This record gives sequence, structure tokens and C-alpha cells, in this order.
Amino acid sequence: MPTVRLRDAAEYPAAAQKLFELSKTWFNHDFAQPPAMSRVMAWDPEFGGPHGRAMKRAMSPGEFTRAEKEMVAAAVSGASACEY
Amino acid sequence: MTGDAVWYEAAQVVGITHALNVATDALGALGMIEEATAPPEARALFAEIRAFYESHAVPPAYRLIAHDPSYAADVWAAARRAYADNRLSRRFKEALAFAVSMTTRSATGTAFHLGEMRRLGVGPRGVMEIVGVTQMFSSYTKIADTLQLEPDMADLAPLDPTPAPGGPVTDVPRL
Repeated sequence: MPTVRLRDAAEYPAAAQKLFELSKTWFNHDFAQPPAMSRVMAWDPEFGGPHGRAMKRAMSPGEFTRAEKEMVAAAVSGASACEY
Repeated sequence: MTGDAVWYEAAQVVGITHALNVATDALGALGMIEEATAPPEARALFAEIRAFYESHAVPPAYRLIAHDPSYAADVWAAARRAYADNRLSRRFKEALAFAVSMTTRSATGTAFHLGEMRRLGVGPRGVMEIVGVTQMFSSYTKIADTLQLEPDMADLAPLDPTPAPGGPVTDVPRL
């Protein structure tokens, strides 16, 4: 069980709703609720904003495709023994 | 990256990379086998490894485990299979190995796979792309662990209904 109570999207301010829309576009998936990590990141936009931009920059296609980078991300998560 | 086959390949790279890094980073006390004085079986193995990597040097992991040449030969056979071009390219597999080595803080493994990435044509931008992904997901995983977040994106990927290689087609059990 999470250490914190994850707020429903409706409990976030308008600026965060915009971020949730972006995350829907990023994953190309219509979530019932934004992913837990999106909601965690929206808690403090001064942290979540630049962190999200750095992630997006890192994940954008370049010498490696977005799909390849998602696989690298999965490998990194696996090597860190992270279930999320 | 759809279908399970590429994920099996990626998992093999992650596993064998970690296994080789564990040997390299922890077995120094055993001492490395010197090629000049190695038994013929180990020398033949080293020659095969050098050819695969187009290098004069044999990665330290193999020189450390070649105290038992038959064991080292089996590890190498698995590693060669894992790192070779298949559905995933060798170039991309080296990027995966680099990311895993960084994540598990293996300085030797990181340096080795960085060298291989460059040798196989990954430029400075590509290297930084993998550094960025590794670093950002190292952050996400620690945030998720600290807050004990539960997985909520598992249904993003479709189920692969194909059988195991060579196996018969059957109904896919639903979870």
C-alpha cells in the first residue's frame, strides 16, 4: 500500500490537469485515473515540471527510438528491483 | 518492441551482463588467467572472445572465471548468444548492457559496454540518450519505492498469444 494517499485527478488544480492530459498523450492511453507516478509528479510542479521535461528529453527519439528507450527504462527498473 | 521475443532477448542481456559484472567486480582476489600460460582450452576460448569483440584484450570476467575453462566456455556460449545480433541489434544490446552496468554501479562493466557502444557506432548524442534514460528511471524507481507505489500500467502492453519457440499453438490463459 502506498506511503501516501494518492489523490484523484479531480483533487488537483487546473495546471495539473494539463499535465495529466499530456501524460495521456505520452502513453497514448486513456487512463481511468492518471498513472500514480503522474499524480506524484504533479504534487510539486517545481520538482515534477523539470523532472518531467528531463524525462521527455531523454525519452524522445534520437539515435535510439522511443521504443528502444522504453526497453532500456524497463531494464533499469528491473536492475533496480522496482516493481512499479 | 511488441511481442515477447524481444523482451526475452533483453532479459538475457540484463542477466548475463550482471553475471559478468559480478565476476569482474568481485573476483579480483582469484587472479586473472594469463593467456601465455593458459591451458589450450582457455586459449581457444580467449581467441573466440577476442574475435567476437574484435579486440586484443579479453574482458576481465572471462580471465577470472577461466580457472575452470569448461565453466567459462559455457558462460561465454550463453553471453555470445545474448549479445549477438538477433531480433535486437548488437548495438542496442550494448546500450542495454551499458544502462544495466551503470544502474548496478559496475564501473568496469560501464566502461566496457561504453567502449562497445562506441565501437558499434553509437555517437556522443546516443550515449547521452542512454545516460539520460538510465538516470531518469533510476530517479523514478526510487521515488516509486519510497512511496511504495503499486504497478498501474501493466495493461498498456497487449498479451502476446504466440507459443514458445517451436511449441504448439494453444489458447492463451487469461490472468
